[in-house]
Amino acid sequence: MAAILPRNSTRQADALRYGNIARLTNRITGVVIVGFVTVHVLVQAMVHSGWFGEAVARSQFLLDLQQVPLVHAILFFSIAFHTLWGMKLFLGDLGYVYHYKTSLFVVGGIASLFALREALRYVGL
Amino acid sequence: MNAMLKTITVKAEVSRFNPETDEKAHFETFEVTGIENMRVLDVIRSIYEHQAPDLAYQFACRIGRCGTCAVKVNGVPVLACQETCKPEMRIEPLTPFPVLRDLVIDRTEVEERYANLALVPHRDHEHEGQPEAVAPDLAHEICRLDSCLACMVCVSACPAVEERAFDGPAFMLKLRQLAIHPADNMDRLSQAKEGGLVECFGCDLCTQLCPADLSPAQAIRDFRNDLLFGR
Repeated sequence: MAAILPRNSTRQADALRYGNIARLTNRITGVVIVGFVTVHVLVQAMVHSGWFGEAVARSQFLLDLQQVPLVHAILFFSIAFHTLWGMKLFLGDLGYVYHYKTSLFVVGGIASLFALREALRYVGL
Repeated sequence: MNAMLKTITVKAEVSRFNPETDEKAHFETFEVTGIENMRVLDVIRSIYEHQAPDLAYQFACRIGRCGTCAVKVNGVPVLACQETCKPEMRIEPLTPFPVLRDLVIDRTEVEERYANLALVPHRDHEHEGQPEAVAPDLAHEICRLDSCLACMVCVSACPAVEERAFDGPAFMLKLRQLAIHPADNMDRLSQAKEGGLVECFGCDLCTQLCPADLSPAQAIRDFRNDLLFGR
């Protein structure tokens, strides 16, 4: 009878690297949040303080830009994913460990629901 | 060849580097025909035996126990003796280690780091009489952590090693093994902190790719838990 080894063959080079996907998504969503907040603060400052003259203050597109549905959907996804993934990492350090694959799907799924809700709002649903 | 076994022709791009003649590594393409479930190591050996007798590579046990045959296949670090071959493969040496030649990396720094960590139980006083009693569950956990192959697959896969001052998951795992050892009194948590414990991203790539089915990420989380709550 042949010896049975604990692991006889892997297909690791075929598999998705879930941790890397989560890490990169976490990083990208973080950049999106910081970017949006920066733009939002600057726009509000320009519109309300009149730093750049009356022309800027009257520019409706600066305000409209913040109401674009796609931007909202991306922003909501980013906030939800970044927050939940951060909590997942912190909970792991506290001793509450969740499997990396399950975590990615659950956090990504919940974050997608926020984005979907926002997207549906703008199509009247 | 057994008629029941399907055959496959593999196209393998193998990284070649000879420090005496090459300034940087380049890829050479080989075709190897063999049984469908042959391993990456079988492909490399076939290339060495039939097409490129000057190809440098390493292996020893062929059963996933020694960790010396670790290479990158299509960008993912694996044990060549365990990974099933693919129709198209790009085989490279492990990063970020210096390459001696072709697929062989220089493990000098790795061995030095292991030596500097003093990975044997250190006692406060001379050992007397019977060794310390170890609870069966703890003994099992220590033995499990001891099954690390030191293949450096996790270190090669780790994004924190690439970006930050982090020694790598394998070293954290070995430190954890000693940290829970009842006969060890060295401050392993401080060693782990010096090795970049807090730099880990918590992505669990090391856990996913570990050929010994260990979880260096969990060892890091346990250390961080100690850091938060004391031990």
